[in-house]
Amino acid sequence: MGKGVKNKHPIIVCRCEDVTLEDIEKVIEEGFTDLESIKRKLRIGMGPCQGRTCIPLLVRILARRLGKKPEELLIPPTRPPIVPLPVKLFLGGRGHEE
Amino acid sequence: MKSEVVIVGGGSSGLAIAYYLANMGVTNVVVVEKHYLGSGSTFRCATGIRASFTTEEHIVLQKHSIELWREWSKKLGFFYERGGYVWLLRTEEQLKAFKEYSKLHNSYGVPTKIIGPEEIKELVPTINLNGVIGALFDPLAGKADPFGVVHSLASACRRMGVRIYTLTTVKKIVVAGSKVKGVETDKGFIESRVVVLASGYGTRELAKTAGVDIPLENVPHHSIITEKFKPLFKPLVIDWTTGAYIVQTHEGNFLMGVDIEEKPGTPLTPRIDFIPTVVKIWYRYFKWLPDVYILRSWSGYYVMSPDRHPILGPIDEVENLYIAAGYSGHGFMMSPIVGKLLAEWIVEGKPGIPQAERLTLRRIREGKLIFERAVVG
Repeated sequence: MGKGVKNKHPIIVCRCEDVTLEDIEKVIEEGFTDLESIKRKLRIGMGPCQGRTCIPLLVRILARRLGKKPEELLIPPTRPPIVPLPVKLFLGGRGHEE
Repeated sequence: MKSEVVIVGGGSSGLAIAYYLANMGVTNVVVVEKHYLGSGSTFRCATGIRASFTTEEHIVLQKHSIELWREWSKKLGFFYERGGYVWLLRTEEQLKAFKEYSKLHNSYGVPTKIIGPEEIKELVPTINLNGVIGALFDPLAGKADPFGVVHSLASACRRMGVRIYTLTTVKKIVVAGSKVKGVETDKGFIESRVVVLASGYGTRELAKTAGVDIPLENVPHHSIITEKFKPLFKPLVIDWTTGAYIVQTHEGNFLMGVDIEEKPGTPLTPRIDFIPTVVKIWYRYFKWLPDVYILRSWSGYYVMSPDRHPILGPIDEVENLYIAAGYSGHGFMMSPIVGKLLAEWIVEGKPGIPQAERLTLRRIREGKLIFERAVVG
């Protein structure tokens, strides 16, 4: 993945998973026209930033392609903890189970 | 619209049924999905595939399913790997029970065996055994990529002429006399000779519209996933004492889950107490875990039947209505064999594996329950 748009530098949309604008346009052409499926197909928004940077961009790209308003697209739900957190924060004390 | 078979539910089960029907030469098959393909339980599952169950029915069906998983992955081209399952055992009592299960598995050709601490450490590098005295190893077990499965199946189905409609909700089953006539959707009526319900808990709601009561309950289960790492271990590891599991996905993330108390019918909402519960269990075994980042958590339903086996096949009182639901947490792994069995039932009048005939709704009505003990996560 990550081949550039012709004669230009690759336009990176998702930095965590290295997804370019060209990748997105290609899967839309293949027939993936909902955000949930595109997200899983390209892993866009599934890395450490959890889509905070790339999903809004993806929404705009897809809306424009489909000739819809962004609010007409089904936006993927936010999965906690929102910001990636280290396991140690959940261990409490030394974190032994028994 | 007119069709021969309408399948309600575009998850791995529904698509598998469509795939085998089309393969057997049935034309005019329609799949109806209310949201996007895989959006029910398929994309929420832990991706594991095993035959190490505790009943003849599950072991035999899953042995077949695992053979089909290999065939599918080659033909359809998705990620599938036989990395095995390791069931960690902490007490003599557990060890004794699993020795018996292993004998049962072996008698149906599933080559599980009891292994000791050294072998566990080889299969699961970095594990700190901390009280584990042995494990059951299931070498045939493994994992697959649900997204790859769903979309490669859907493409194969479309190539064979199956029509797939997403964002389409089935409202009711239409029955005349005691025969199925089709389904009413939010986009119109689809006339059909046969209707198959492969719609998770929705199966219960829809069957009611045909006057059939299917005793299913939807119980939320939760998972978390960490950031990615290079491959560390291949098996899915189960801590039998707590019923927790951990598996490294083919992308490299660690996926973990454990059962926490939930009432049936609870909406799928995050439970903040779930994360500490599951990470404390796995910290016991993996001392590197505290510095690993958790990316997200999510939940999905285990659609439970009264005896933790799916309800498959025809319904006595409504001709040409078929059910495939209630997998009790095992729907993804069972989908290849369920697809094949349902297609055989519909086309040939009976399933190719006799044990499947014991899994119809009739068993529950007649009180012939078959209880599965190995349900985890």
